[in-house]
Amino acid sequence: MERRSLTATIFIHAFALLLAAVIVAPVIWLFVMSISSTADLTAKPLHWWPETVDLSRYTRLLTAVANTEGAAFVAALFNSLRVAGMATIAALLVAIPSAWAVSRTPTVGWSLYAVIATYMLPPVALAVPLYMALAALGLLNTVYGLALVYLTILAPFTTWLLKSGFDSIPREIESAAMMDGARLDQILRLITLPLAAPVMATAALFAFLLAWDEFFYALLFTSDLRAKTLTVAIADLAGGRVSDYGLIATAGVLAALPPVLIGLFMQRALISGLTQGGVKG
Amino acid sequence: MSALDIIGVRKRYGTVDTLKGIDLSLDSGEFLVLLGPSGCGKSTLLNIIAGLAEPTGGDVRIDDRSVVGVHPKDRDIAMVFQSYALYPNMSVERNIGFGLEMRKVPAAERAEAVKTAAKILQIENLLERRPSELSGGQRQRVAIGRALVRNPQVFLFDEPLSNLDAKLRMEMRTELKRLHQMLGTTVVYVTHDQIEAMTLATRIAVMRNGQIEQLATPAEIYERPTTLYVAGFVGSPSMNMLDAHIADGVARIDSSDVVIPLPYETSAKGRPDQKLVLGIRPESLRLASDGEAPAFEANVEVVELTGPELVISATVGQQRITASLSPKSDIQAGTRRRFALDADALHIFDKETEKRL
Ligand SMILES: Nc1ncnc2c1ncn2[C@@H]1O[C@H](COP(=O)(O)OP(=O)(O)OP(=O)(O)O)[C@@H](O)[C@H]1O
Ligand SMILES: [Mg+2]
Repeated sequence: MERRSLTATIFIHAFALLLAAVIVAPVIWLFVMSISSTADLTAKPLHWWPETVDLSRYTRLLTAVANTEGAAFVAALFNSLRVAGMATIAALLVAIPSAWAVSRTPTVGWSLYAVIATYMLPPVALAVPLYMALAALGLLNTVYGLALVYLTILAPFTTWLLKSGFDSIPREIESAAMMDGARLDQILRLITLPLAAPVMATAALFAFLLAWDEFFYALLFTSDLRAKTLTVAIADLAGGRVSDYGLIATAGVLAALPPVLIGLFMQRALISGLTQGGVKG
Repeated sequence: MSALDIIGVRKRYGTVDTLKGIDLSLDSGEFLVLLGPSGCGKSTLLNIIAGLAEPTGGDVRIDDRSVVGVHPKDRDIAMVFQSYALYPNMSVERNIGFGLEMRKVPAAERAEAVKTAAKILQIENLLERRPSELSGGQRQRVAIGRALVRNPQVFLFDEPLSNLDAKLRMEMRTELKRLHQMLGTTVVYVTHDQIEAMTLATRIAVMRNGQIEQLATPAEIYERPTTLYVAGFVGSPSMNMLDAHIADGVARIDSSDVVIPLPYETSAKGRPDQKLVLGIRPESLRLASDGEAPAFEANVEVVELTGPELVISATVGQQRITASLSPKSDIQAGTRRRFALDADALHIFDKETEKRL
């Protein structure tokens, strides 16, 4: 609407601010907690902003000295990166060909729905079979085992996301390339995949986040520094006799950083619009 | 020498017969237009020629070589899609040269060919751009350029102009005609626009429900349509179709006392009371001078000036008739006037078989 009364404008802005505050407040509070001293955190009434900025927890968590909370946290950080990274890459490797096949061959579309249907099962239903399978393969408490489990979660999801991405690329473009003499691998490499880059980036980001944030399976299938992931490590911090809320908050901030950085890094790829202009006006 | 032969081609999708036996033979350098309404199987036939679909039965021969089962890239054809189907992630130059690139033509030679094609199509200044930075007409040219550089045996066009506005469409039509005259390549061109078909084609195949209704030159399609369907499809405003029957060797227009003499061979062959449809092109009607025959009276209801012509809607008995007259004609709505026609401008069809008599 072009013409809007002043009250309406104020109303809309007020609500937008309120919404933003509701979304951002927990994140800000997390950060404030992570830099507050224990005294500030336990003070009554509560201090909204610490009297002294205390960064000691960051150094405590990011230390490599053996047998400290820091060592456990850093190990978990790397485990998480490896598990989420491996699972994401493997999921894309599986999803790209299968999504393309399903998108271009509607008659096999049912198979994707069959796979998605298994998605409806709650994780707890699969916990025991997965545990036994991993045990049989000797993959319990390894990053590979956990990555394999995550692959089963990520692959259907990324396939489904990529399929809708491929669906939006007109088949005529591929037909034209075919008549121009491109082999299948050339069509995919030079035309279809570049056009699908935004949706592939989106799929990768969401897959990574899903694996990064997963807790249930990680808790069940890992037991020590060799494979424990961040979500489990943070839970360990909270599970001690005396909980240092500031330390948990710091771990939370640090755990949020990698996905945020990856998101920023992929921002360029996420910007769509690359597919426009090939067909019609 | 025939450049393209289509022999008894059939295509089924599930239980639906989309093409029910198509036979065509094209000489080298011909411009064949497949004309028909939406869903009659034009694109299907084109895709079969291109190799994007395989026929359920029959044979397709290019240059006397059967190409059934041959990969599209090995058929020596190039296609311009209705949606242009340009590669959005590549520059115009690479779009045009892509076919040569895939065929491992050296870069220098490729650049030369792209330049030549761009020059012909007047898009030399656009080579660096992406398809998204082009207008509809420019995209169309790029799509044609992509086909052009390949210098194929047969060009296929699937409604290449249907996404353009009327003016651009006319320009591109002329351009295509010029291009064909210059290159002399065999063309198969799909459209449902009868003006495009009439102006571009050396021959027109009018299609209906997966069959070819008539295959002839544009002039013949216009002057001697063999079925009612073709007669109604070609011409604008479309042909008047008057229900009539044979009575005493002449045609009597139903629900009126108007009689129109029939050529001797028609009335001799015709049964008494045989039901007819008289086809009269609006442009072959004129205001009758005194005593002129054959002629008939009609109630003029609407008079519309379109610019180059005056379009009259009138009724003869209960039936509507359209006449397109010279814009200077002296005629008013609400009057009763006599219209004359030449005897050879009469198209006579059997009402039951819908075939020309
Ligand atoms: N892949 C397919 N699967 C099933 N039916 C199809 C398929 N392709 C085409 N058809 C059917 O075949 C018929 C002819 O389609 P076609 O695309 O050849 O029509 P057309 O003459 O090109 O029409 P238009 O002018 O709308 O492009 C249609 O009824 C369509 O539904
Ligand atoms: Mg079509």
